[in-house]
Amino acid sequence: MAGATRTPLVRADASRPEAVASLAMAIAVGLIAVGIASLFGLVPIDAAIGGVPTVTALGGLLVVLGAAVIGLGVGSALGYIETEPSPNAGLVATVGFAFVWFVLGGLTASLVLEGGLAWLPAGAVTGGAAFAMTAATREDIGSTLPAGAVAIVVGGTFLTGTIGPVWVWDLGFEQQASMTATFLVPAATIACGLLAGWAAATAYGGFGARGRRMGAYLLIYVNASAIIGVLFLLIAFTAVRGIPGLLTGATVGSGVGPTVSVLGVSVTLPVAVPFVMNGVSLLNDFQGVLPAIVGTVWLVVGAVVLAVPLGVGAAVFLTEYAERGRLTQAVEVATNGLWSTPSIVFGLFGFTFLVPRFGGNKSLLAGMVTLGFMLLPLVLITSREALLAVPDEYRDASAALGVSKWQTIRSVVVPAALPGVVTGTILGVGRIAGETAPILLTMTGGTFVSGDRAADVIGGFAFTSQPPFVTNPELLQATTALPFQLYALITAGVGLGDNVSNPVEFQWATAFVLLLVVLSFYAVGIGARYYFRRRLRHE
Amino acid sequence: MSETTPTTKTDRPAKTDQSTEADQPTEADQPANEPDVTTAADATNGDGATHTTAGETDEQVREEWREYDFEGMAKFAVEDLDVHYGDDHALQGVSIEIPENSVTALIGPSGCGKSTFLRSLNRMNDRIKSARVDGSVRIDGQEIYQDGVNLVELRKRVGMVFQSPNPFPKSIRENIAYGPEKHGDIETGPLARLLGRSDAAARDRLVEECLRDAALWEEVNDRLDDNALGLSGGQQQRLCIARCLSVDPEVILMDEPASALDPIATAKIEDLIEQLSEEYTVVIVTHNMQQAARISDQTAVFLTGGELVEYGDTDQVFEDPHSERVEDYITGKFG
Repeated sequence: MAGATRTPLVRADASRPEAVASLAMAIAVGLIAVGIASLFGLVPIDAAIGGVPTVTALGGLLVVLGAAVIGLGVGSALGYIETEPSPNAGLVATVGFAFVWFVLGGLTASLVLEGGLAWLPAGAVTGGAAFAMTAATREDIGSTLPAGAVAIVVGGTFLTGTIGPVWVWDLGFEQQASMTATFLVPAATIACGLLAGWAAATAYGGFGARGRRMGAYLLIYVNASAIIGVLFLLIAFTAVRGIPGLLTGATVGSGVGPTVSVLGVSVTLPVAVPFVMNGVSLLNDFQGVLPAIVGTVWLVVGAVVLAVPLGVGAAVFLTEYAERGRLTQAVEVATNGLWSTPSIVFGLFGFTFLVPRFGGNKSLLAGMVTLGFMLLPLVLITSREALLAVPDEYRDASAALGVSKWQTIRSVVVPAALPGVVTGTILGVGRIAGETAPILLTMTGGTFVSGDRAADVIGGFAFTSQPPFVTNPELLQATTALPFQLYALITAGVGLGDNVSNPVEFQWATAFVLLLVVLSFYAVGIGARYYFRRRLRHE
Repeated sequence: MSETTPTTKTDRPAKTDQSTEADQPTEADQPANEPDVTTAADATNGDGATHTTAGETDEQVREEWREYDFEGMAKFAVEDLDVHYGDDHALQGVSIEIPENSVTALIGPSGCGKSTFLRSLNRMNDRIKSARVDGSVRIDGQEIYQDGVNLVELRKRVGMVFQSPNPFPKSIRENIAYGPEKHGDIETGPLARLLGRSDAAARDRLVEECLRDAALWEEVNDRLDDNALGLSGGQQQRLCIARCLSVDPEVILMDEPASALDPIATAKIEDLIEQLSEEYTVVIVTHNMQQAARISDQTAVFLTGGELVEYGDTDQVFEDPHSERVEDYITGKFG
């Protein structure tokens, strides 16, 4: 094969440079992790790690990292390390390094020279130098030297104290915005860690195609774990802040809890968690958010009961019966548009159209219907996709048995599409359970509702001999829900009486309970999807 | 019954012929592509010569090639059947009579209209929006292309097995019981159970009977509640045949039922078809000419352009075809 390069099948012993490269990668990943933790305030920038001030420690590690990366590149260029570098580092790396060095040079110049446009030529000089350096040299130099140099320069400013924990760059804006070390140090550490880590991974793979693959892997892994880490951090953060408030006054022991009657059997719970078992009243020892939890649950249940049959029915009509054409296209555009409609618009619709028709005051029912309308487009879109994905073979097989179209849809097509429908409903429930604006306008009465006024929808049904034969005052009463309560607590600060000893704990606990309620809806949905999938597939 | 068919399947020397034919390499000087049909294709119809086609051999299709006399009753009588898909003329004036309780094979190259013809027999073409059917198809003397035909009843009588196995994503038992339950022939729903009219025993009998008829009972009788998608391809196809038998059809249409299966599964399906032909009228589309020769009593050859070129006793069609083009096709010179 012409032009094919042959490289040794088995590389000679390269354990020492690989160890250096692995160490450099480990330092880089560690620096990125510390940087992220520090951005979230978990590692204070003005404290010390093991006796060394944090900034100094970060600077030292950055210098070591940069030196290791440069060492690997130079060692490869001088032939001490066996690698297979490409002729140059490639366009993406070249442009990337040029940009980084342009920013670095420009920032330094504007800090040192104070004002003017001097930063522009300075940035252009450093950026151009990095560009030329990367483009003109072989890959082992071109991809390590600019990256390592960035780490050394940034590390040096940290190490020498040029940028310390109390460093502030006053940007001189009207708004008095300023760049502080609390943000800059972690951000610069993360950026340098990514650059130098990528270079170290490239060196670990011996440059060339394999090296670039290693570099890409490192970036992808760091990216993926950072995303997952941030998500967990968010939940853990809420949990840590929320649990103390949630457990305020909680007791465990026989007979301490409230008495619950299920199917006529009264059980006294052995645990008492006032935060989720009480409402708010003057006489309570501990205040709680029970009415809001109940309100949120009933809202979601009502919205799902309204939206899922309508959405699935419309999807069945559009997919199985309607001719593909103008009508279906128009409906598709309209549903996509509805799903993107801001929730406050739905709220306004409920406020001006539904509320006057449901007795003129805000009510649970109005909130349910409003959220049901919000949920409808997503259920329709995902159900339609799921129905379209059901193989035509099933429909053919059923038709060939002489089974009518409607029976085919009911017994074969819809069951096969159910996992998709459930997935769509889960996504939609996640959105509507946290909506504040629509229920603010349609459903919520007082911010704090006493525990005995938690909506008892099932118990509220009463049958009468006159039309409409069934009434439910609970549905027509204003109540509250968790997102609204949280909003009221934080922005307006209303409703916290004297017997909430720690308002901040109370707010975090409310947020945590909202998170738990939404997650438990997810759990129910995922369980349902799993059940339907098991029934469909061979498991 | 099978004795009404002209030959029995055992005394046929077709197998040896087929093996020699299969060994013949395709002639290099024969054009591999399919011939173009001249525009005068369907100019006239009837009295001997109908039209000419260009291609590997110019020849005129004669009416007597398509005449086939058989004893016994005709299950289907098709006259001048034309099918269009939009502007595409898929079937041209096909007339054919299919005897009952026998196996009729439809062979021909791809795109020649075999499957279209098969789907015309139970009006599955109705499900394709662009399809337009003209002509007459009578089953037991009753026209199926007229107003007032009950499609449910027609498809119950004329079952169909598809090319790729397509069991429902349900248990084996539910797959078999699906048709009868939907037709209300057996009731196992909660209401029926409540009223004490549940036909669970009848359903289990039906499931066993259909699975036995489809030669699948021995393999699956201990896992009737398992999902049908867990069966192997050959088992799935036999399950589809069993499902088709569950509504007690008179005719079974098969559209290349073994093309997605390995030789062992194919052999099982072929044995099954032979057994089924004692009670049912089987019409099978196949690409595999050896298979057609092995299992069928009579063979209809469709060639390019959607015309029926030759129809007759399988032995005659394979050993001594009237049409030169049919001979070229079955000896592998084109197609």
